[in-house]
Parts: sequence; structure tokens; C-alpha cells
Amino acid sequence: MGSRLRIALVSKNHELNTQMELRLRSKGYQVIVFSKISSILGFIYSDPPDVMIVDLTASDPEIQKLVKELKKDNYFSVIPVLGLLSDNMDELFDWQNYPLDDFIVCPVQYSELFSRISLSMQRIQRIFDNNPLTKLPGNTSIQHAIERALGKQMAVCYIDINNFKPYNDSYGFSRGDEVLRMVARIMSNAVKESGGGFVGHIGGDDFVFIVMFDRAEAVCKTILANFNIIISDLFGDEDKARGHYIAKDRKGHEQEFPLLGVAIAVVPTDSPKIQHYGKITEVAAELKKLAKKSQESCYVIDRRKI
Amino acid sequence: MQDRRTEIIRIIKDTRSLPTLPGIITKLSSLAEDGKVSVDEMARVVTSDQVLSAKVLKLVNSPFYGFSGRISTVSKALILLGVNVVKSLAISSSIFEIMEKNTVGLWEHSLGAAVAANIIARKLNLPEREEISTAALLHDIGKVIFKIKLEQDYDHLLNVIKEKELPMIDCERELFNVDHAEIGEWLVKSWLLPEKLIEPIAYHHNVEKSNNQRAKTAVVHVADVLVKASGFGFSGDDFVSRIQPAAWEKLGLNELILKDIVSELENNLVEAKNFSMDIQSKSGQQA
Repeated sequence: MGSRLRIALVSKNHELNTQMELRLRSKGYQVIVFSKISSILGFIYSDPPDVMIVDLTASDPEIQKLVKELKKDNYFSVIPVLGLLSDNMDELFDWQNYPLDDFIVCPVQYSELFSRISLSMQRIQRIFDNNPLTKLPGNTSIQHAIERALGKQMAVCYIDINNFKPYNDSYGFSRGDEVLRMVARIMSNAVKESGGGFVGHIGGDDFVFIVMFDRAEAVCKTILANFNIIISDLFGDEDKARGHYIAKDRKGHEQEFPLLGVAIAVVPTDSPKIQHYGKITEVAAELKKLAKKSQESCYVIDRRKI
Repeated sequence: MQDRRTEIIRIIKDTRSLPTLPGIITKLSSLAEDGKVSVDEMARVVTSDQVLSAKVLKLVNSPFYGFSGRISTVSKALILLGVNVVKSLAISSSIFEIMEKNTVGLWEHSLGAAVAANIIARKLNLPEREEISTAALLHDIGKVIFKIKLEQDYDHLLNVIKEKELPMIDCERELFNVDHAEIGEWLVKSWLLPEKLIEPIAYHHNVEKSNNQRAKTAVVHVADVLVKASGFGFSGDDFVSRIQPAAWEKLGLNELILKDIVSELENNLVEAKNFSMDIQSKSGQQA
């Protein structure tokens, strides 16, 4: 996958451009060279490259402005920018104002450049896709992980928390955030301790984990059991003693809610009916409905063969 | 006098690491080698040691994980931190280089208090038994740190206690203008542990002062007294104080219940003694 990365090279130095383009292409990268700065932003916004290498050796204000513009934009700041600096320049460089992701010093050591390109890609994926609250991988990584699992004897397991919204309303957002972080830890540890797998945070109270199918049920049981142990610390003594708490439902009426529980929908990935990512989420939604029928923590495994 | 207090506060606040008994570490390492170690097995070993339990609770309540002041038992900490994190925390712990009589005595006393607190909580049908025995396990953490950080002062303290035949807490106040309950309180507060654990540690010699966690504080106080009366371990003095009226009242104790508790405690302390011998022999091998 990594070998067809699209790299934008920004420099007014033709000699450098020619040489670097050749080396990058020989490594299997696609290269787009820009020596006219004015046209770059438009191009990036319409067809963003995977990585940018920007020549800063000439201290060109136009190029510096470009880097700043790019990094100001939430969406495009995801693209890693590698600065080319001349010798000794790194010591005096204004890192604060020119938010680079990495740099390389001229004359360019190409093996180092290639390593830095790979590294910055990895880093950006780690940083930007992860959920800031739980630090778990987000939707891009989740989709990739599910695609990799398709056709194998694995299970994609969707977790969510029953009646999370009324809990949030009644105990406050920061308590709700604590619950989400706890679920993330409980799930990650259960998966890790069962022998490993993928865990991700879709958003809100929706999580996903992927393990070998024959281990899925055991992991579900561990998560349910551990969640039940932990929730006692998430309610006030009175609510705990009563076994339920009062909060407003979707229509704003006060109602009794049972203490928090989790529902897990387990979708095997080796079934012939599941050919693509979309089908997994569809099946998961059906199972979730089943799991939600009971107010208590439970898991539902799809064992239908066709 | 005030200066001495300030100095002690400064020295103790500067605590980075607390040593654990080598035998505990040996036991955990052999568990860890097993590969598939369960949360329960791990929790059993960790909860036998006040220092390791304190470390695990400190870590899980640290701001990084985002549930400060919430987690009050080792098994909950293990669920949230994961077996691997706790394993590496334990193995990287520093250990006591010399297994000295007082160190073992204090360790046994804490273990015994946890055993006693568990029995009391069960007999009286109190909620949160695990929290209560955790608080009992940690109740003298102030002494542990005092002994480690100010070893000469601690030795001097023990000598004065012997000479004057005074209770330890009185001697501490007289000599240093601060006592182990207060030191313990600073520590666990700075570690952001939950109130459920802070109050019993802070007020186990003064149950009346406990407001929100009086039942837990009362149990820890009674457990402390009973273990000292049993002669198991050595907490620093041999003085057995009376059970405070506030504790007696809060728990609704009577002679009959107390008798029942004491007889079960005696049986359980035999097991604790065996465990302690086992740990000491393992420590010997390592040293």
C-alpha cells in the first residue's frame, strides 16, 4: 500500500527537483513537482497529496507562508510536511512559526529521507485518527482493520453502552467521559489479555474490537463481567443501593433507568454473505436491536450461516 | 518544632519510589512467567502488599488515565490498567535490600489489618468490603514511608516508645509534631486516591473526625486494634488501645459479634502467618 504514496515536492531549485524526483520515483512513489508556488494551494485543496516535501533552504517567504496556511487548516494539516533545511539552519529555525512535521538537512541522505517519509505517515495516522478522549484508533483505522478481517475466521464486535445519554444528562459530561475512558480500557485490556486483536473508538459510546472468532465469546464475557465490577464506582451510593437512577428520557419525562450496561454485537467475518464493510455494519445494526431488547448487559453472536 | 514538621513534610512529599518486599516481587515474577495470568491471581498477590497496592492505586488514579479519585480497589485497578501494566510496575519496583525485623513486622501488621477488616465488614454486612480491606491494608502507609525516608528518626522513635512505654502516635507527635496518620493522608491525597481510602487512613486513630466515610474508618480502627491484640505483626508499639466509642456506635458492635469476629480472625491469621513465612523464605533466597 505504502509504495504508491503521492508526494508533492515544492522547490524552486530545478537541480534539486530533478534529482529528488528521480530518487523518489525509483523508490516507487508518485511525485508531483511544484516550482511555481502560487498554484500549489489550489492543487492541494482539490487533490491532496499524502506527503509534502518543502524546500526551505532559500528562506523563501512565499514557501514559508504556504506551510503556515496549510497547517492552519484543520483538514489539511493532516498531511505531513517535511522541511528541507540547509546545514546548521535547524539550530536557528523558527519551529514555532513554521509547523513542520519533520525535517531533513541538505545534502539529502536519501535513505534517511525515505525513512522519514514512512515515519511521518505512521505518526500522522497515529495522531490524527485516534480519539482524543480514549486515545483509541478512529474510523479510518477501523475501516482498514475491518477490511483486513473480511474473509478470515474473525469477528467484528460492536460495543455500545445502554442508556448512555440519560446517564450523561444526569451525572454530567465529565462523568460520562470517564465512563467512555473506562469502557475503552476494559475493552483494550480484555482483547490484549485474550491474545490480541484490534480495538477502536467509532465515536460517542460506540466502540469496536476485532479478534479471532473462536475467542470472541470469551472476550465478550470478560468485558461484561469487568464492566459490571467497575460500574459500581460510577453511581452515587443511593442510586447504587436502589439499583436504578432517575433521569429524563428522550421526551424530557423523568424515568427510572437501570444502572449502566453494555451491549455487544458479534459479526463473524468469514460468512459468504459478508463481502464488504457496509454489510458488516448492516448485520451489526440488526444484532444490536436484539441485544437492546434486554436492558441488561449482553452480547449477541450472529450464527446464521446464510 | 514547627521547623521539624515542615522539614518532614518536605522530605516526604519528595517521595518518588517505595520499596517492596523482595518475596512479593519474586512471587509476582513467577506469576508473570506463567504467561496467562488472570486478574484474580494477580490481585491476590498485589493485595497482600501495602506498598504495591498503593502504587497500583496511585497509577490508576493518576490524571493520565482520566479517572482520578474514582478507583479504590486493586482488582478494579487491574481491570482498567491491564495485567501487563501492573506486571511491569511490580517488576520495576525497588525492593528492600535488607529484610529487617521491623519491616516485616509492619508488613504483617498491615496484612493482618486487611484480613481483620474483611471479616468485620462481612460479619456486619457492610457494603464495599473490598474497599474497606484496601483501606485497612493502606492504613499505616504513613509509617512505611516515614521508616524509608527518615530511617534514623524512625529508629529513634521506636527506642523512645520502648523507653517511655507510650503509644506510637503520641510519641510521633511529641518528637516530630506530626503523626503517621497525617503523613498517610498527605500521601494518598497527593496520589489522588478516592475519599473512601483517604478518610480511614487519616482518621483511624480518631474515628470521630471522619465525616463521610465513618463506617469504613471505624472498621479500619477496630481492625487495627484487634490485630495488635492478636499479637500478629509489629506496628511499632505493643500498646493495644481501647476501641473508640464513635467506632463502637457507628458499627453497632456488641460483645457477641466481637467475640465471633475475634475467633474467625484467629483462624485466618494462621493462614496469614504461613503466607508471611513463605514470602520471607522467598526473600531470603533472593537476598
